[in-house]
Amino acid sequence: MTALVIGTYQLAWRAVRETIRQPGVEVGNLFIPLFFFFVTVGAISNIAAPAFGIENYEAFQLPVAITQGVAGAAAISGVAIVKDIESGYFDKLLLTPMPRLAIVLGRLIADGIRCMAFTSIIVAVLSVFTAGMAAGPLGYVVVIALAGLFGVAYSGIGVTIGLRTGNAQAAQAGFLIFFPLLFLSPAFAPKEFFDPWMEFLASINPVTYLLEGMRTLALDGWEWDNLAGALASVFGLGVVTAGLALWALRTRTA
Amino acid sequence: MTAARDAAIGAEGLVRDFPAVRAVDGIDLAVERGQVFGFLGANGSGKTTTIRMLTTLLRPTAGRGYVDGLDVQREASEVRRRIGVALQEAGLDDLQTGRELLALQGRLHGVRRGEIAARVDELLAIVDLEDAADRRIGTYSGGMQRRLDLASALVHRPGIVFLDEPTTGLDPISRDAVWRYVEQLNRDEGVTFFLTTQYLEEADRLADEVAIIDAGRIVAQGSPADLKATIGADVVTIHVDADDGAGIARALLRIEELDGLEEVRTLDDAIVVYITDGSRAIARLVTVVQESGLDVREVTLAQPTLDDVFLRATGRHLEVDAEAPSPGAGEEEAR
Ligand SMILES: Nc1ncnc2c1ncn2[C@@H]1O[C@H](COP(=O)(O)OP(=O)(O)OP(=O)(O)O)[C@@H](O)[C@H]1O
Ligand SMILES: [Mg+2]
Repeated sequence: MTALVIGTYQLAWRAVRETIRQPGVEVGNLFIPLFFFFVTVGAISNIAAPAFGIENYEAFQLPVAITQGVAGAAAISGVAIVKDIESGYFDKLLLTPMPRLAIVLGRLIADGIRCMAFTSIIVAVLSVFTAGMAAGPLGYVVVIALAGLFGVAYSGIGVTIGLRTGNAQAAQAGFLIFFPLLFLSPAFAPKEFFDPWMEFLASINPVTYLLEGMRTLALDGWEWDNLAGALASVFGLGVVTAGLALWALRTRTA
Repeated sequence: MTAARDAAIGAEGLVRDFPAVRAVDGIDLAVERGQVFGFLGANGSGKTTTIRMLTTLLRPTAGRGYVDGLDVQREASEVRRRIGVALQEAGLDDLQTGRELLALQGRLHGVRRGEIAARVDELLAIVDLEDAADRRIGTYSGGMQRRLDLASALVHRPGIVFLDEPTTGLDPISRDAVWRYVEQLNRDEGVTFFLTTQYLEEADRLADEVAIIDAGRIVAQGSPADLKATIGADVVTIHVDADDGAGIARALLRIEELDGLEEVRTLDDAIVVYITDGSRAIARLVTVVQESGLDVREVTLAQPTLDDVFLRATGRHLEVDAEAPSPGAGEEEAR
């Protein structure tokens, strides 16, 4: 048990340090969500009030920018694992007596930390353009924490692909899975305005509940139902992706 | 020979198949504690595959491997605790510094936090990387990376160390340093080494026991002296005109009638004669060859070497991959 804790902590710290040492990698991940934020707000905010009854469309879009940024940042782990496999460093880790679980846990936890730092930057930049956070300063904290959890859950996808394929491009493509999830969620308008088939798809999409949870914090304040929904969907996603990642680890190291 | 189970490192009928090839084809071995065991073989002979199985990285298709009496499959994590491994490709992380990598490796091996710094300093001094210790590994030359990799295999003071071609691609000075370090650890701390090599000289100098592996099988095994003694003769090599096949055939027939002959074979433009008391036989041999109508270009007389052992066991010389030196071999400056 202590070996697992030490191993996870050490490898998570190594992964965080890795990010600090190549800050350039994150710039693109920052640029894409900000770009989408501004073009979406620019195109839709003027009609948001008459059409959907949303006065503060910037706050409505903030969670979209965050989840998009997090999905990009969390794809890095899969690529990093492939790099370790290619360099042989992965073998060096396998040759230590630490539980192999630590290799995956270290990455996932580092992604949580990375995504929280990343979200803080997005929130800081966009708070200049939004009317702020209805839930107050603590709302920011909860939004950032949710983003971190989503980062952990989402990074399981890239890690799984990286471990299974050993291919960096494939692991990078883990990010692309996010786009269908995003477009099948109420990213641009509340889902009450959707066609029934679309509303159904959105209602089984975990990203929907994450967006809605963050949104109520930004627009309305503390609504425990929505927060619980966000937490549960992120947690459910995390259980699935972490399970896949561990399965991929086992098949690679068997 | 000790039973595989009681040995420091043992194998019983170890086999590994890959889709297109049987890389390891039934290997039995028993390395005694405190021994330096040399695994000598050409490219693709199965050295790395054997090491990967014995170090728990690869599952054998059949057979068993043992380290310190532990089954490498069933007691893998205990095996990992006891061994140090430097694989053929130094598996390093460009973004860490040498010092960070050693410390991390030590922590993952369970070295206590309070002891790590001193141990890392000690190792950095041994492999002569103190000046580069706080630079990122991405800036190290190939030789520096190899030395760091070697140090990382030793950070937890393992009693059994596997080295896969530890000196391939090193310049002569670094190679000599590695040799001396292996000798010192073996002598002073009783560390058992299993090392693979393509270099006869390396096996000869370091190994107490050598196994020659060819196409996944051990084809000869013993101490270098015993192996050479099996040749039981001196080696006279006579270079002639290779185009004259008939002349060579005539010469071979007559050589086979000479007293003290152990074996004769041809190799490229040479007739290789294993014969007792070679210095006396040499005059007769030259005469016989000339009388067969061949032009003698060069004659050498030698004591048997491991190369002769290798040649006899496999029918080939051990040819080292000439373009093998790893990136940056020999240069000490940053890439
Ligand atoms: N992962 C693999 N998949 C398929 N074939 C493999 C794999 N690893 C090794 N082989 C094959 O198994 C054989 C033995 O390879 P191995 O790497 O063990 O040789 P080696 O003695 O270490 O060679 P070298 O001196 O070049 O390192 C070779 O034919 C090689 O092509
Ligand atoms: Mg090899």
